[in-house]
Amino acid sequence: MFDSVEQVRESLEKQGYICDKNIATVVYLAEQLEKPVLVEGPAGVGKTELAKVVAAATGRNLVRLQCYEGLDEAKALYEWEYSKQLLYTQILKEKFAEALAGATTLREAAERVGREDSIFFSERFIVPRPLLRAITAEEPTLLLVDEVDKSDPEFEAFLLEVLSDFQVSVPEVGTIAAAAKPLVFLTSNDAREMTDALKRRCLHLFIDFPGEELELRILDAKVPGIDRRLAEDVVRVMQRLRELDLKKTPSISETLDWSRALLALNANELDEDLVQDTLNVILKYEGDIRKAQGELGKLIAQKTGQPVPEEPAGQGARVAAAKKGVLH
Amino acid sequence: MRRALPTGRAGRAVQKKIVEFTNLLRKSGIRVSVAEAIDSFTALDELSVEDREIFQDVLRTTMVKRSEDIPTFDELFHLFWSGFHDQLRDTLQNALSGMGGGAIDLDQLIERLRELLGQMEGSDLDLSELAAALLTADLTQLENLIRQAAEQAGTARIENMLQVGFFSRRTLEQMDAEGAGAQLEELMRRLVGQGLSEEEAAALQELIRALQEALRQAVRQFTERELQKQNHDYIEKFRRETLLEKSFYNLTEEDIRRMRDVVARLAQKIKNILTIRRKREKRGKFDLHQTLRRNMGRGGVPFELIFKQRRKDRPKLVILCDVSSSVANVSRFMLQFVYSLQEAFTKIRSFVFVAELGEVTDVFSEYDIHEAVDRALDGGDAINVYTRSNFGFAFHHFWQNYLSAIDNRTTVLVLGDARNNYNDPRAWCLRDMQSKAKNVVWLNPESPGAWGFGDSVMDRYVPYCDVAEECRNLRQLSKFVDRLVL
Repeated sequence: MFDSVEQVRESLEKQGYICDKNIATVVYLAEQLEKPVLVEGPAGVGKTELAKVVAAATGRNLVRLQCYEGLDEAKALYEWEYSKQLLYTQILKEKFAEALAGATTLREAAERVGREDSIFFSERFIVPRPLLRAITAEEPTLLLVDEVDKSDPEFEAFLLEVLSDFQVSVPEVGTIAAAAKPLVFLTSNDAREMTDALKRRCLHLFIDFPGEELELRILDAKVPGIDRRLAEDVVRVMQRLRELDLKKTPSISETLDWSRALLALNANELDEDLVQDTLNVILKYEGDIRKAQGELGKLIAQKTGQPVPEEPAGQGARVAAAKKGVLH
Repeated sequence: MRRALPTGRAGRAVQKKIVEFTNLLRKSGIRVSVAEAIDSFTALDELSVEDREIFQDVLRTTMVKRSEDIPTFDELFHLFWSGFHDQLRDTLQNALSGMGGGAIDLDQLIERLRELLGQMEGSDLDLSELAAALLTADLTQLENLIRQAAEQAGTARIENMLQVGFFSRRTLEQMDAEGAGAQLEELMRRLVGQGLSEEEAAALQELIRALQEALRQAVRQFTERELQKQNHDYIEKFRRETLLEKSFYNLTEEDIRRMRDVVARLAQKIKNILTIRRKREKRGKFDLHQTLRRNMGRGGVPFELIFKQRRKDRPKLVILCDVSSSVANVSRFMLQFVYSLQEAFTKIRSFVFVAELGEVTDVFSEYDIHEAVDRALDGGDAINVYTRSNFGFAFHHFWQNYLSAIDNRTTVLVLGDARNNYNDPRAWCLRDMQSKAKNVVWLNPESPGAWGFGDSVMDRYVPYCDVAEECRNLRQLSKFVDRLVL
C-alpha cells in the first residue's frame, strides 16, 4: 500500500518506469479506492508496461487477459474440462457399479447417480481463465485487461458485471466472490469508444507522448550507457517528428528501439546519413519516411550549420505544366 | 448501493464548488454523472486538496473519461479554480504598490494597524467583516465575501458584456462596500486620536482609498469571470455549429483538423453499423464433421458440440467519387471522408472520375490525408481531370473494367452531382452494378429539387440506387450516417 503520490512515483521509478505526477496520482487513487483504471493513449507510450510495473512495485501477481475480437466467456472466465470429466467417469466405472448395486429399478439407479452428479460439476473440473484466476487468487493480484477496445461490445457488458462486484456465478457451482479485490488495469488504443457504463466505473488515465525532459529521463533509465549528447539529439528528433502529421506517430517504444539501434552502431552523435539509414526503425510507412526525410534534413543541417539543400522543384512544375492548356 | 456523501477533508464548501464545477463541465459538453462527482469527493478524502496539480488530476481522472475532453477540462479548470484567487492577490498588490507614499513601510503600517485594532477590542466601533478583511488584506476572507455577495446579487445569471457594470454594482451593494468604507474612515479618525502620527494618518488615508478601489476592481473582475463561464459553452457550441453548417469552401487549418476527427468518427461508425452481426442467427447448423473431429480425444463421445459459425459479414465498399470542377469543393470534403473510410475498412476500393475513371486506392493508403486528397483531386495520375464530367462514360468504364470488384457483399457509394453535360447517362451500367451489389448509395451535393433539371441526370440514376440523398455539409452527412443505423 502506498502512503503518498510521491511514494508511488518513487517506487515506479525503482522499477524503471519514469512517470509524471499525473500517472502517479491515478495509480495511488486506484489503490486507495479499489477502482479499476482505464488507461488510454497512443500505441507504445507504456500503457501495458504501467500495469506490469505497478504489479511489481506492489508485489502483486499479474494476471493478464488479452482481448481480441471474438473473445468470449469460455476464454475469459472458465470452461468445463470435458476430457477430465470423461477420464474420471472411466476410472470410476467400477465405483459406479458399486453405487448402483442393489438398485432394482431404473428410477432408483438414476436417483443415485443424480445424488452424485455434483462431483462432476465442481471446481475440480473447472479450467479457470484469467478473470476467474484473478478473482479466486489468494495472493494480492493485479488484473490487466489488455486492449479492451478490441473485444466485442457483448464482452464489454460481461466485463462490466465482473468489475462492479468482483464476483462471478457459475450456475452448477454457485457464486464465487473475490477474496481480495484485485487491482484492475484496462488498456485501450481507442479503436472503439468504450461504453459510458464502463467508463463511469473506472478512473480514467490518458497517457500522452512525454515532453522532452521526461523522454530524456526515460531514455536514460531504459538505455543505460547512451551518450548524453546522442540522447538529447534523439529526443529532439523524436519530438520534432511527433509534430508532423504522420500516419503512425513514433512513440516511446520507437525512441528506445532507435536508441538501442544507434548504440549498437556505436554512434555517439546523429548525422544525416545515420538518420537516413536508420529511419525505418522509427517510421513504419513509406509515406511517413519520405515526409520525415525533408524535415529532419533541415533539423540536422541547422544543428551542424550546413546549408539546407533546396528541394527539387520537379513535382510542382509538372503539375503546373499539366494544368496548362486543358479544359475546365 | 448508496453511500452517504463523504465529508472528510474536502469539506462541504469544496464539495459545493465541485458540484458547481461539474455543472459547468456538463454545460460545455462533458458528460459527468453524479456517481462520478461522488467519486471525486471520495478521492479527495484520500488526498490533500492543497496541491493544486494533484487536485486537478483527481478531478480529471474521476470525471473526464474521454481523452478528447481533456483540453476543455483543463481550460475550464483554470477558469473555475485557479484564476480568481491569484487575480485578487495581483489586484491588491497592484493597488498597494501603486501608493506613492514610499516613506512609510506598508507592512509596518499594517502591522501597527493590527496592533491598534487589538487595543480597540471591545470599544463600540464594530468593523464589518468586509472592512476587517480589507484592512488586513485577508485574501481568502475577501474572496469568500465577494462570492457570497455575488451569489446574492444573482451574478450567475449574467448574459452579456453590458451587464458587467450592473452586476458589479449590485455585488458591491450586497456586501455593503460603502458601509465598510465609512467604517474605515471612522476608524481612521479614532486612530488619529489614539496617537497615530500625521504622516501615518496620511498614508492610512491613501491605503484605505487604494483598498476600496482594489475591491471595486476585484468585484468587476469576478463578474467578468462569471460571464466567461457562462459564455464558454455558448462559444463552443457556436464553433461546432458553424463547422457543421460550413460549406467546404474556406476551412481554416483548425477546422480541417477538427473536421478530420469528426469525419474519422463517422467512418468508424459506418463500419460498426455494417459489421453488426445478426445476433438471432448467431449459431448456424450443427457441424457433424467438426464435432467428431473435436471429440476424437474422448473416444468420439460428443461432449462438445460444434456449430457452423456464420461467416461474419465483412462489408466491402466500392467508392466512386466525382472530382470534376463543378463539385471541386465538395469533392475535397468527400475525399476526406473516403480517406477516413479507407482507414477504417480493409476491403475498400476507391475510384475517382470526371469522364475517365481511375483507381486511387493505393494513393490513399500511401499518403497522408492532405497529400492524398490533393493527389486524388488531380486524378491520382490515372485520369485527366480537366475535362467535362461524363457520368455515363465513367460508369461504362467501370462496368467494363471493374465490375468484378462488386459482389453481393459490396456496397457501392457514389459521390457526385450527376451533372452530365448532356451526355448519354448510360444508366444501365448503374443498373448492372446494383444487381450485383448488396446496395448502391448515392450522395449528391445538390438538393433533390434540382435533380433532373438542366444537365442533371440524377432522375435517371435514382431508380437504380437503394439510397439517394442530398449531402452538402457535415450535418447532412452525420444525419445520413445516423439514419443508416435503422
